Parts: sequence; structure tokens; C-alpha cells
Amino acid sequence: MGDCALVNSIVRGITGVFIVVGLVACGQTSDEASAPSISAQAYAANAERWVDSEFQPSTLTRDEQLAELAWFNTAAEPFRGMSINVVSETLTTHQYESETLAQAFYEITGIRVNHDLIQEGDVIEKLQTQMQSGENIFDAYVNDSDLIGTHSRYGYVVALSDFMSGEGADVTSPTLDLDDFIGLSFTTGPDGKVYQLPDQQFANLYWFRHDWFSDPELKEQFAARYGYPLGVPVNWSAYEDIAEFFSVHVKEIDGQRVYGHMDYGKKDPSLGWRFTDAWLSMAGAGDQGIPNGLPVDEWGIRAEQCRPVGSSVSRGGATNAPAAVYALQKYIDWLKAYAPEQAPGMTFSEAGPVPAQGQIAQQIFWYTTFTADMIKPDLPVVNADGTPKWRMAPSPHGPYWEEGMKLGYQDTGAWTLLSSTPLDRRKAAWLYAQFVTSKTVSLKKTLVGLTPFRDSDIRSQAMTDMAPKLGGLVEFYRSPARTAWTPTGTNVPDYPKLAQLWWANVANAVSGQVSAQAAMDSLAQQQDRVLERLQQHGTLGECGPRLNEERDAEYWFSQPGAPKPALDNEKPQGETVDYETLLSSWTAQDAEMAQ
Amino acid sequence: MNRSSRVSRWVLLGYCVYLVLPLYWLLTMALRSNADIAGTFELLPSNPTFANFAEILTNPVWYQGFVNSLSYVVLNTLISVSVALPAAYVFSRYRFLGDRQLFFWLLTNRMAPPAVFLLPFFQLYSSIGLFDTPLAVALAHCLFTVPLSVWILEGFMSGVPTEIDDMARIDGHSFWFFFTRIFLPINRSAIGVTVFFCFMFSWVELLLARTLTGSEAKPIVVVMTRTVSASGMDWGVLAAAGVFTVLPGILVVWFVRQHLVKGFALGRV
Repeated sequence: MGDCALVNSIVRGITGVFIVVGLVACGQTSDEASAPSISAQAYAANAERWVDSEFQPSTLTRDEQLAELAWFNTAAEPFRGMSINVVSETLTTHQYESETLAQAFYEITGIRVNHDLIQEGDVIEKLQTQMQSGENIFDAYVNDSDLIGTHSRYGYVVALSDFMSGEGADVTSPTLDLDDFIGLSFTTGPDGKVYQLPDQQFANLYWFRHDWFSDPELKEQFAARYGYPLGVPVNWSAYEDIAEFFSVHVKEIDGQRVYGHMDYGKKDPSLGWRFTDAWLSMAGAGDQGIPNGLPVDEWGIRAEQCRPVGSSVSRGGATNAPAAVYALQKYIDWLKAYAPEQAPGMTFSEAGPVPAQGQIAQQIFWYTTFTADMIKPDLPVVNADGTPKWRMAPSPHGPYWEEGMKLGYQDTGAWTLLSSTPLDRRKAAWLYAQFVTSKTVSLKKTLVGLTPFRDSDIRSQAMTDMAPKLGGLVEFYRSPARTAWTPTGTNVPDYPKLAQLWWANVANAVSGQVSAQAAMDSLAQQQDRVLERLQQHGTLGECGPRLNEERDAEYWFSQPGAPKPALDNEKPQGETVDYETLLSSWTAQDAEMAQ
Repeated sequence: MNRSSRVSRWVLLGYCVYLVLPLYWLLTMALRSNADIAGTFELLPSNPTFANFAEILTNPVWYQGFVNSLSYVVLNTLISVSVALPAAYVFSRYRFLGDRQLFFWLLTNRMAPPAVFLLPFFQLYSSIGLFDTPLAVALAHCLFTVPLSVWILEGFMSGVPTEIDDMARIDGHSFWFFFTRIFLPINRSAIGVTVFFCFMFSWVELLLARTLTGSEAKPIVVVMTRTVSASGMDWGVLAAAGVFTVLPGILVVWFVRQHLVKGFALGRV
């Protein structure tokens, strides 16, 4: 029998694995079995329990909350017992939905939701797989509104405007209040239809160390050197001066090396977001127009009557225009001259938490998704009383920027339903999407995840109470200025195909392989080739690309708007504004709007 | 001790440190908070925490990912070895029309990158309702592990003299008795090596496992991507998950370690 030792070992090993698998699976089963069995009468009691124990505070009264949940209960009746799968990227907000709201939804409606969390890139991949194969992989996706131009053209995504008034009318909440969603314009296609329902929203702002900027000694040194006060930079010249001031002249604060700038530059897909999100529009490369420049947007793509017609200057685009080249060059110069030595080797995810370590004085391109991690106690950037030493403020703009242009990035992760999902599953998923964005739960969700998406929540007392700890987040969202922060718009006909071109070209310029001009020229050409292919396919209908004939660049430079000719002086006088003054002007504008 | 042996020892020690360092780093990261990991350089965690391991062990999503992965890996290993054993025996004992071509054709499957088969597998499994099941991934992995197993086993079995087959027949044993009680135990090292390779291929393969699953059979490698988000990376939890993903491999090696060493020494691996 000794000869059978191996077979025995293997059998033992496999049996062991099966026992573990079996035990865990049994654990799962017994968990499910021990979950309270839900009778129709129990739903109302469950709703009351959730309202009292979890969904507080809310902008609704308790009775209004219960009435809203009662509607969900009734609307879900035909789908009771169903189990659906939805997916989103990993964010605190979605974790809350996945772990708490999905369970609440089950106990209130009887529909079990498996709310999956995976990396954003994988969400897009699953979405594309479902769109192209027609196989139902997930019943609903939380997908960034950057893809609105793609969704509104390809026809794979259900237009919610049609769905709500058509086959989904019986499962559309009467208390949804679409106008209350601050990101609705981002999810509206060029045809005026809403394609996605906003679920969470975040912005990209300027971040700075308020305590250092308020230090009288540093203020005095800065004013003496640059001839204007240290404050929130209004333009890139001031940002550059402040970056130089901290990195080159101040160098150390309390014995610690400090830097006037933070960024990232690793050859990685996240390098593309650094540019496509808003960078070119901040420099001023596109045209005026909110949410996106028209006819030329912040990707440098020109559109005429919703048709993309080119991104090279020779076709009327601005991807390789002087402003775009200037934007790339400044990004590279600052990264190399003023950021920490390790920054060029970092990705978005690695660079994001660095300012929380206390060595960074300011960051021009900072995502508010990092807020929660920046207000944790015991961090070098948080005071003993829990208030932050930092603040967020509007991003400074480059010399090509004009009033009325997009000034930064703001995006909404939004519920997206595909037409390849069977109708009953789509309806159940739509109920869940409305539940996690309903006024009953939205304020609590916002306080947990800090990604506000409803105007009523932003103006609530709970947000006012929390504002001092959030470094300007609430003030930004309450100000009318926030409309200048927008996502990728409808000029981009196929986000996945075009976005992937950016990071490789930018990385070539960062590494010094090619000049900024050559990188943007190559990018513009590649974008035009993709647009040309889409034009040849001819599947995108009336808003599909139709490229302009190539013309001399001077022709386009002589036309009004983008592409704009090179400025003689790309570094005008630096300009700053006092943070407190800025804040009070926001509050005054907000009060004016409220009246 | 002469000089050259001292040098050899130092070289060996250096090599061991080189091998162990990434694992040590993984373990120390798993024992630290994210702020700690990003903030300071430490060889030993000054504020060790088990919170990352607790997250993995208490969150059903994480341990379900391990269960899913183990399910298809075990299935794949079982199918591959049970199919490859008779196939390898036949290739080692019989000559038939096109045997060499067939053997070569099996190997060519191994030569193609998994990405080539993504689309056909996805469409096939979707159409027959296997999408998002452990069986789908296990069968897809079989395309690579069965040829590998046949190849490894055939090499070992060819080394076993055919006289043993004849002796068993003369002794009056049935083929089934001979195969299971005499032939397989002789080839135990080969089976150990094959199990190891099947297990490890399936355990670390990401592309097919990710594409052929949605939410029900999501493998651990996909669950691990949830540590990357718009608010940064959850390094600690990712490292803790990494520690757990190393364990099954160590377990398999532990169970088949003696046979594995012999197998590496004798066979065609």
C-alpha cells in the first residue's frame, strides 16, 4: 500500500480542499437559510426598521421616507424572489451600496442584488463585452458619464428618457425628481435624452496647504520674491511661481523637505485620464461652452452639428494646437522641476495619497475622491481638532483660457442599462438604481462616501454641519462655479477607442523620446484615424464622424475660437486670490442664486 | 572550510534572501495600514495590524473569490489528470496511424496564447449556459493543461518497461487492476508533477478566468482588482489577499513534495 502514498496524498489534499470549499459553501447556504424569511407583511416592518436605524439623516421626513419605500415595495412585487447582478467600480460610496443598501433593498422589496465591485477598467471591459456580444453579463452597470458620447451613438444603451415613459413606466418612481440630480446634463446625449442615472459625483480641484499659505513669514517671503501675495493661484503663472517657491526656495518646513507640486507620470492608462479629463481645457485649448467646448472640446475634437469632424489642426481640431502642446509641456516641466523625485514613476492610484503625508504645498490636479482619506485623524495634514490643514479651491487656468470655458473635471458614475438585458431583469435593476439614489437614502450615502449627486442633499443641514471638516468640498458644490467642472462630452464618439491613444503618446513625451509637439501631432493623427474608421463603418448614424478635408493650419488659426494660434507670452503676470475672499464670494453667489 | 565553499555558502544565502524577500515584503505589507505603507520605510512593521486579514476573512466577497478559484482549479486538475492518464498510457504503449501527429497536435494547443481562445470560448459557453460557472473556466483551462499533462505523463510512462505490462497479464491480473494498482503507483512521481503543473497553471491564469466569469464564479484574481479605485490603492488588503493566494500553492507542493523532486529529476519537465 506504500506505493499508493502519492495517490493517497493527492486524494487527501483534494478531499481537504473540498472539505474547506464545502464548509464555506455550507456556511454560505446556512447564512442564507438563517436570513429572516420575508413575508409580504414583513416588508413594511423592514422598511421602518431601515429608516430608523440606517437612513438618517435624510432630506425627507420619516413619513415621506416610508411612503417612498412603500412604493418600491409595491413596484417590486412582480420581481420578488428574483436575484440580479449589478456592477460598479470600487469607491466608498459603492461599497456602502454593495454591503448595506443591497441588503436593505432585499429586505424591503424581496429582490436580491449582488452588487459587484471591481476595478473601473474591468467594469468598462465587461460593459464592452456585453455591448459587442449581446450576452447579458450584468443587469446594470455604474459607468462614468465620460462615455455619454459613446452610449448616445451606438444604440446599445437604453435611453432612460424613453424607458421611463415607455416599458419602464410602471417601475419608475414618482419621487425620483430628476431635476434634483446635479449631474443630469452630463448624462444627457446630444439628442436631449437622458441615458444614465447619476449615482455618485466627484470633481478635480486645486488642493493646497492652507496653514502654510497663511503663514505670515512665508507670505512675506513670497511677496518679496514675486511681487504679489501668496494665495490661491488664479492662473498657471501663479501656480508655477508657488511651485518654484516651495520646491526651490523654501525647501524645508519644520525640518522636512517640502515640494510645491505633486503629479504622476508613469506609462500607465491612468496617465491618459490626467489629460482627457480636463487638462487641455484648463490650459485653454478648446472653445467656450459648458459642459464642453463647442465646436472644439477639451480633447481637441471639433464637432459640427454633433458630428466629429477632426482633431488635428489641419481639420479644425485642437489636439495638436499650440495651447495643447503648451499644456503637455507645462505638465512635463513641472513634474520634473517641482514634484518629488519619485513622482514621474507613479500612477494615479499611487500618487493620490501622497499629499496626505504632509510634504506637498499644492497640487493643481487633485481628485475629491481622496477627501475621506485626507481627513483621517493623526495624519500630518489634519489638525488635532479634526479639521484639515488643507483646502480645495477652483483650479487655476492657463493663458489660452477664456471666460465661459470648462475649468476642470467633474464626473458622475451613473446607472447604465443595456438593451441586451432581458426586460424583467432590467426593470428589477432599474428599481435598485432608483433605490440607491432615492432621497430616502441619498443623504446618508453622501455622508458616507462624500460624493454628492443630489442638490437637495448638498443644501441640507447635515452637509452644513460637516462642511468644516471637508476642506471646502461643500462650499464648492454649493457654488454656481461648479458648473465649469465637467466630464468628457458628446464630441467623443467612442471613448474606449480614443482614450487609449492618450497615455502612450503622453508617456513618450514624458520620457523625452519625442517633443511635446511631436507627441500631440502623433496623437491628433491617431485620433483622426480612429474617427476615419468609425466614419467608414458608418454605424453611428447622424452623429457619426465625418472628417473635414485637411487645410492649411493658418486657415484654422485665422478663424475665431479654437484652434488658437500661439501666444507671444505664455507666462503673463501671476495672479492669486485670498482663499477666504474666494469663499465669501462663493457664499454670496450661492445666496443670490437661492433668492 | 575552504574559501570556495564559503563563497558558495554566501552565494546560496544571497540567493535565498533574493527569493524570500518579495514574500517577506508581501507579509509585512499585509500587516501594516495603508497610511503606514505609503508613509514610511520599515523593515519590521512598527504598528502591526491584522485588520487586512480580518477584512479578507470576514468579507464574504473575498472568501467567496477563493472558493470560486479553488472550485475551478480542483475541477480542472481532476479532469486533466483523469483524461491525461489513459491518453498518455496509450501514446506510450501503442503505435497507431497518426499517433505522432496527434501527439504534436495536442502540444500545439499549448503553444497558442490563451487570448486567442477568448472569443470562441465566451460565445460557446454563453450559448450553452456555462458562462459564469466554475466548470466553464475549468474546461477552458483543460485546453492547456490536458496537453501539458499528457506530455509530462507520456514521458514518464515511456520510461516504464513494457515487460511490467506483460508480467501483470501473465500473472492473470485484469487490465484495470494492473493500471490502477501497479502502473499508477509506479508513476506516482509523474502524477505529482502533473498535479502541480495543472494546479499552478489554473491558479495563476487570469485572462480566461476573468472573461468567462461574471459575478457568480468570480475568481480571486478578479476580486483583487477591487483594491484599485479612484481613491487610491488598498495596499494592505491587496497584500493580505496575496498572502492567501500563495497558500494553496504551498499546500499542493507540501502534499506532493517528495514525488515532485523525483519527478523533476527523472521526467521531461
